[in-house]
Amino acid sequence: MRVALQELTEQYSAALREYCTEGGEASLLRGYQLGRRAVAAGLGVLEMSTLHQEALVEALLEMLARDGSAHIATRASEFFAECLAPFELTRCSIQEAHAAMCDDNRGLKQRLSAALSDFVGAQDELLEEKRLSNLKTDFISVISHEVRTPLTSIHGALNLLLIGLGGEFNPKGQRLMDVAYRNSRRLMRFVNDVLELQRMELGTMTLDMRPCELQSLLEQSVEASQAYASQLGIRLVLKQVPAGVRVRVDADRTMQVMANLLSNAIKFSPTGETVSVEASRHGSVVRVAVIDHGPGVPQAFRSRIFQKFSQAERSSEREGSGLGLSITKAIVEQLGGRVGFESEVGCTTFYFDFLEWGPQPASLNKEEDTWAADR
Amino acid sequence: MGSRPLKRILLVEDDPDIQMVTSMTLGSFGGYTVQACSSALQAIECAAAFAPDLILLDMMMPGGKDGMYTLKALREIPQTASTPVILLTAKVQPSDVVRYKDLDSLALIRKPFEPTALVDTIQGIWTRYSAQAH
Repeated sequence: MRVALQELTEQYSAALREYCTEGGEASLLRGYQLGRRAVAAGLGVLEMSTLHQEALVEALLEMLARDGSAHIATRASEFFAECLAPFELTRCSIQEAHAAMCDDNRGLKQRLSAALSDFVGAQDELLEEKRLSNLKTDFISVISHEVRTPLTSIHGALNLLLIGLGGEFNPKGQRLMDVAYRNSRRLMRFVNDVLELQRMELGTMTLDMRPCELQSLLEQSVEASQAYASQLGIRLVLKQVPAGVRVRVDADRTMQVMANLLSNAIKFSPTGETVSVEASRHGSVVRVAVIDHGPGVPQAFRSRIFQKFSQAERSSEREGSGLGLSITKAIVEQLGGRVGFESEVGCTTFYFDFLEWGPQPASLNKEEDTWAADR
Repeated sequence: MGSRPLKRILLVEDDPDIQMVTSMTLGSFGGYTVQACSSALQAIECAAAFAPDLILLDMMMPGGKDGMYTLKALREIPQTASTPVILLTAKVQPSDVVRYKDLDSLALIRKPFEPTALVDTIQGIWTRYSAQAH
């Protein structure tokens, strides 16, 4: 740097002297080039003018004897002006760059404030969503307590009257009692279903997963729904189950899934018909199917059959909350399975699939592949 | 030793309707001797004299003297210091159930319950309890 400055000073002096004595475009051009080198070397205008002064004094001392000082001063000023041109150019380009930067900044600021307001909007939306979700939870809490408490006395009182604690009813009274009791039970089931679904949505349902014999699981499920089936005059049968199949599930929850599917199948079967349960193995996937011979799922209803509060038609005969199948789906999915159905008039199959539980961990990956491909 | 029969039940429930239905269920249908109380204070008052085999305790009671308070107080009375307790609740939110889990009780029965099923449930819990205890 110092060497460069030294050299610059010397060259400047030489060029200045040459211009002062001889003039000419060539030395002026050298002045301009020296100016550019000074800019490139990081010199400021003040340093440049010091350098000029020193060179000028040197030149004057040497040349005064031969020439008039006015002439030398004019030439020296011209030369200095020429060598300052690069500084001026640089200043302009810095100003331009600054202006451009200001524009960029403004653009950035605008984009930033737009992004910020988007963010605030999203945050508001999130807060609103959270508020609604809390409201829903609170509402369900209120149902939980404020509906369950009176329902406990209503249902209890009706139950005691029905078992004869208040004495005998005449036939009309008995019919009215039946209506009241049936509907209080329906309301009770609904409240329980809503709470159950909430537990699943909040992910607070605890599962007791262990390997279970499919055969015995299905036998128990069918047994548990036998009373309801015979009440409606439906034959309930467990068909073939592949021997020795085990699945890793929560047994109680699986029984609940079966109870839901069986109750639906029974409810929609014409009296005298059969509802059958069968299991089959497809590679490592085990499918349990509940088959009925009812009217089938209406076309328009198929897409929302697993949604909450959906029922094909409101009917007092086919009482239900419209939550049964969405609970069923939620349970099966929490157990790591999937649920589905196929339906036509006279034959409807609801099924759920699980992976067969095998003792050899080596086959697990293969099972997962089959599972993914099958999906 | 075989299981001791369940005879005397102390019912603590502030809702008068639920109290009546439940005590009729347990008394007339289940055949137990029932002492019904509407508050923690009442329960504490008659616990010693009644000396129950089993306590049915509602968790939600007003005035800061709820089921937890009652349970703690009953544990300090010699006659009910180790009497088995079944909790009753209409609050079944997961956050509540978790709190109840830590309490010294045999089971949690959720309202609404089917009275006829209640007797079976209580009898089942009692049978398991007394088989374990002896």
